[in-house]
Amino acid sequence: MVSKEEIIKIAKLSNLFLDENVMEEITEEMAKIVEFADAINTIVCDEDIEFDNINQIENAFNEDEVVESYSSDEVLRNREGGENGYFLVRRRV
Amino acid sequence: MSYELVVGLETHVELSTNTKIFCQCTTEFGGEPNSHCCPICLGMPGTLPKLNKKVVEYAVKAGLATNCKIRNLSKMDRKNYVYPDLPKAYQVTQFDKPICEDGYITLSSGKSIRINRIHIEEDAGKLIHERGDTYIDYNRGGVPLVEIVTDPDIRTVDEAVEYIEQLRLIMKYIGVSDVKMQEGSLRCDVNISVRKKGEEKFGTRTEIKNMNSVNFIAKAIAYEFERQVDILESGGEIHQETRRYDSDLNITESMRSKEDAEDYRYFREPDLVNIYVSEEEIKKYKAELPQLPHEKLNIFINEYGLPKDDAELLIKYKKVAEYYEEASKNLKNKKLASNYILGQIYRKFPTDSEKEEFNISIPPKYLNDLIQLVESRKINSSMASNALEKMLDSGKAVTEFISEKDMEGIDENTLRELCIKAVNENQKAVESYLGGKEKAFKSIIGYIMRETKGKADPIKATEIIKEIIGKI
Ligand SMILES: [Zn+2]
Repeated sequence: MVSKEEIIKIAKLSNLFLDENVMEEITEEMAKIVEFADAINTIVCDEDIEFDNINQIENAFNEDEVVESYSSDEVLRNREGGENGYFLVRRRV
Repeated sequence: MSYELVVGLETHVELSTNTKIFCQCTTEFGGEPNSHCCPICLGMPGTLPKLNKKVVEYAVKAGLATNCKIRNLSKMDRKNYVYPDLPKAYQVTQFDKPICEDGYITLSSGKSIRINRIHIEEDAGKLIHERGDTYIDYNRGGVPLVEIVTDPDIRTVDEAVEYIEQLRLIMKYIGVSDVKMQEGSLRCDVNISVRKKGEEKFGTRTEIKNMNSVNFIAKAIAYEFERQVDILESGGEIHQETRRYDSDLNITESMRSKEDAEDYRYFREPDLVNIYVSEEEIKKYKAELPQLPHEKLNIFINEYGLPKDDAELLIKYKKVAEYYEEASKNLKNKKLASNYILGQIYRKFPTDSEKEEFNISIPPKYLNDLIQLVESRKINSSMASNALEKMLDSGKAVTEFISEKDMEGIDENTLRELCIKAVNENQKAVESYLGGKEKAFKSIIGYIMRETKGKADPIKATEIIKEIIGKI
């Protein structure tokens, strides 16, 4: 089960604004999503599935050669707050 | 009741690849914050990571050098946890199919510390906490690591220290990491428990995370052992938890208990394909491994005839060990080269890091040339030591400071005349020597060395003088 309080907390952590009047609806929808995802627990898997990969390839590698990184300006462009080139996570919760 | 310490170590070794594990940003230490980053190592949605080939090679080499079995087929997994040092909210690591397993490192006592596994993973970014806010630098995020996990085989602080030092040296020798502890490229998580001696069952353990000083690790283990024994002796019980070592106070303190969290919801990393290392590749990597520190140690002791202590001092720094090997080539007495390095040369490199770098001005060949002259008795040891000092200061060869004429030394007739003169002019010294004062003899030799500006062979001079005095 998903509670309304959990939805409010997740929204807050994700910087999302949720209108009070859609809260019921979203809580219900979220509960269904989680319930659906729970179906994964019913899968019976054997050892081989460990190595299942949708593409039947192995060893797709990068060479160990430096490629120029993004500029700090670009990297930091959408950050909120922060200074001296750092990202910032404000005190919360 | 006496208790036994039980320690297991998880050591993170930063690999010295040029680029990060899943992108081609540089791994260089330092730099402006967030200047070694791209959408992949920043965990932007929609990016596709690709494993650095060198990381596999280095991990396999680390495994081979520590007697591990190498898994031909392995994969990467996601370890989910939410903390701002991981922009993706998961760390890409290896869970149930680590690339290396079942190895060991043998300590000098002959005891083996089993290595349970070595796996590949990515490092996290660096956090700076200030007034409740957290500043993040992702330059280190995505730098490749291997995590080397021992079984709980360690029983004393000394064993823990020796294991770490051996591991560090091995990683350095095989060139997979620069293992600079002060820069955090080797960090340990220490698992500690105690049990009554003779007991089979392990006690509840605590974990001290992220230690990057051997000295602090030793102190933290010693403290934690006492703390746990005290609790048990007073009828309490140990809680499984993560603790932090405070080096200022030399105590450990609780950070968080294991009950909350620790469900990492591991699952296969779907963005990365399987890793396959063939037997041929493993063979090739094995052939590329250099002589390991304990192998060099054995050769230095058993073939070169060095005392164990000297050999240990030489292998402690890879560059010094290699320099010594070159400098001692073709010498009859290989200890001579070791003496010059550990004495006169080491004085020029007083600190640990200077010995590690070993930026010596003369190539090993020059030292070898100098010692050959000593061995063939063309120059005496005081001349050699003077010349070496000048060589080290200038970076020049021995021939710059010792001429052919110097090397001729003093011919026997001249030396004999000088000795007669020395005996005549130092009557007092001769008398007190004959009176039993061994020391007085030195002043007669000193006279000869002064007269010849150090060119005379003091051993020969001694023979001649004793012969002259004997006739008196
Ligand atoms: Zn990157």
